[in-house]
Amino acid sequence: MKLVQKVKVKNALGLHTRPAAVIVKLLQPRKSSVLFNYKNETINARSIMSILMLAAQKNSMIEITVEGEDAELTMQHLLQAFEMEFGEK
Amino acid sequence: MPSKDGEIVLRGLPISKGIGIGLPVFFASLEDYVPEVAIPCQEVDLEIARYRRALEKSRQDVEMLQKVSLSEGPSEIASILGTHLEMMQDPLLTSVIEKRIRSHRRNTESIFQHLIEEYKARFKTIQDHYFGERVRDIVDVARRILGHLCPFERLKMAEVPHNSIILTQELVPTETVEANASLVSGFITAVGGITSHAAIIARAKGIPYVANVDIKGLKKVDLHSLIVDGSQGIVILNPTRATLKRYQEMQKSYQKSYKLLKSVAHLKGETIDGYEVRLFANLESPKEIDQLIKAGASGVGLFRSEYLFLSQQKFPTEEEQFCIYKKMVKALKGRPLVIRVFDLGGDKKIDLPLGHAHAKYFSDIGCEPNPALGCRAIRFLLRYPDLLEAQLRAIIRAAQFGDIHILVPMVSDIHEVRLVREKVETIQKELGKPKPLPLGCMIEVPSSAIMCDAISREVDFLSIGTNDLIQYVLAADRGNHHTADLYYSTHPSILRLIRMIVTSANAARKPVILCGELAADPIIIPLLIGLGVREFSVAARHIPIVKHTIRKWRILEACRLAEGALDYPSAKELCDYLMQETAK
Repeated sequence: MKLVQKVKVKNALGLHTRPAAVIVKLLQPRKSSVLFNYKNETINARSIMSILMLAAQKNSMIEITVEGEDAELTMQHLLQAFEMEFGEK
Repeated sequence: MPSKDGEIVLRGLPISKGIGIGLPVFFASLEDYVPEVAIPCQEVDLEIARYRRALEKSRQDVEMLQKVSLSEGPSEIASILGTHLEMMQDPLLTSVIEKRIRSHRRNTESIFQHLIEEYKARFKTIQDHYFGERVRDIVDVARRILGHLCPFERLKMAEVPHNSIILTQELVPTETVEANASLVSGFITAVGGITSHAAIIARAKGIPYVANVDIKGLKKVDLHSLIVDGSQGIVILNPTRATLKRYQEMQKSYQKSYKLLKSVAHLKGETIDGYEVRLFANLESPKEIDQLIKAGASGVGLFRSEYLFLSQQKFPTEEEQFCIYKKMVKALKGRPLVIRVFDLGGDKKIDLPLGHAHAKYFSDIGCEPNPALGCRAIRFLLRYPDLLEAQLRAIIRAAQFGDIHILVPMVSDIHEVRLVREKVETIQKELGKPKPLPLGCMIEVPSSAIMCDAISREVDFLSIGTNDLIQYVLAADRGNHHTADLYYSTHPSILRLIRMIVTSANAARKPVILCGELAADPIIIPLLIGLGVREFSVAARHIPIVKHTIRKWRILEACRLAEGALDYPSAKELCDYLMQETAK
């Protein structure tokens, strides 16, 4: 299954080190492949360094593509993490 | 770039005078010490296994550090280390590297290094300061992994062969301190400013030094021998026999004139008409005390105690300091020893590895946007009273064995001296050693130069630190080659300030000593005498030339020279006037 959805970065500092680490950790038990697209750049969301290199600031829109058997659950977790501002709220 | 018989002449920035002839020794930082070798197909798996081991060892390192920092340091450190651990599992550092080793079939180090450079380049294009800063974490992680990959030990500055000419990207103060003048014949660097700390040390050691030379380009040249002409700022690659001979003669005459000057060492530093000028030596390494006595110094006018830390990369304990100071003051046999308390921070900072017992002192301050105006010198010490108190205790104990003075660096307000004085008195009471200990104030911040009449009344002596004073008064960075031409040591504003300071000190009947490179310039010495300075502190090797210069002048002529100089509106006009007058 393949899911694509756009999500807004809400936390103050953007996708900096800590949120990137949260995302990578969250994806560890998941089997699907996860890509982030931002400003025409597509990266592997399991790479903390790649996420940092996006330099996505507050209010930027990230397009998430999840593909694999647990795509639905994976997307759900990701959207929740973005919504909760990665626990920084 | 004229070339005859393979000889190549390069022009650079002259930093430390003298002529060095020798063999090239490329001094690499770990990153640019990466060889590139092709790997045969059948060894690719071994190469990958090697990479995995290095990664695993790095991971173990960081986990260890994390454990230590969890129980001690602030929680941020553990969390930063956690990120580093995550990065080591990042596909960009695991599968991408392995894929590249397979496809490029090159040794891991070179592939790793290329990839890191790519990442660094991408981070550098990020406009956002916060994200751009993350590149430091990558560099840190990369260094650790590379350290485990590279089997070689890094060459140590103190262990190079005789007649070495060191070629490196940039000299750092600690390495320069390590360099032995009998082994190192010269320095050539890609970056470097005239008044950087490395430059000052190179000059103090008498090692010729030329900067702004393309070191990476030199690596491609087949180099047999080298000449460094630190007076002209010239580097000659593979000199012809004729050139070599010419330079050997120049080198000899240099040494001869230096010997001649040294013969005045036993004579008094006084003007023709008998005004005495006392000459002290600046000192970085306690081992050099013999040399300064031989050079005819009246004592140590400035002991830069922070080099005890910089050379060991850790703070010496009270006991260690006590032993060093006691030994020094005994070797001086009654001559005074002025100890400037640790002048650290600002440009004298070391990136201690995380987990190092003393790393917290620097990591807490972090990366300052403007280190010259930041938490350095006495500000640093007042932030960490444990360091200051240990040093003061060691000094007070050692003062029983000779004449020790305490000097407080970078005072911007008198309260900083008062705080030190209070601490000295408390410690003296505790130790029951109430011998009076002269406490001096370094005048190197414009505010204390302006307030020096008030300061003179409270302290026991003043010490003018010209290097920093000039940089702060002219707002020109002494290490930046773009502003180096604004850094006029003889700017009229500086002369007026020096006169003001001397007048205030005289009114309060307190001695004033001038430290800094300014005092070693034969053109400026008579001017300073004319402004009323009667005590100088310079690097030991400059003492003969300073003495020689003083002995050629009459005090009245010097005063007239100074009075004339104060009338000039600009540095350029003043400089021309000085050249003209002192050439007479």
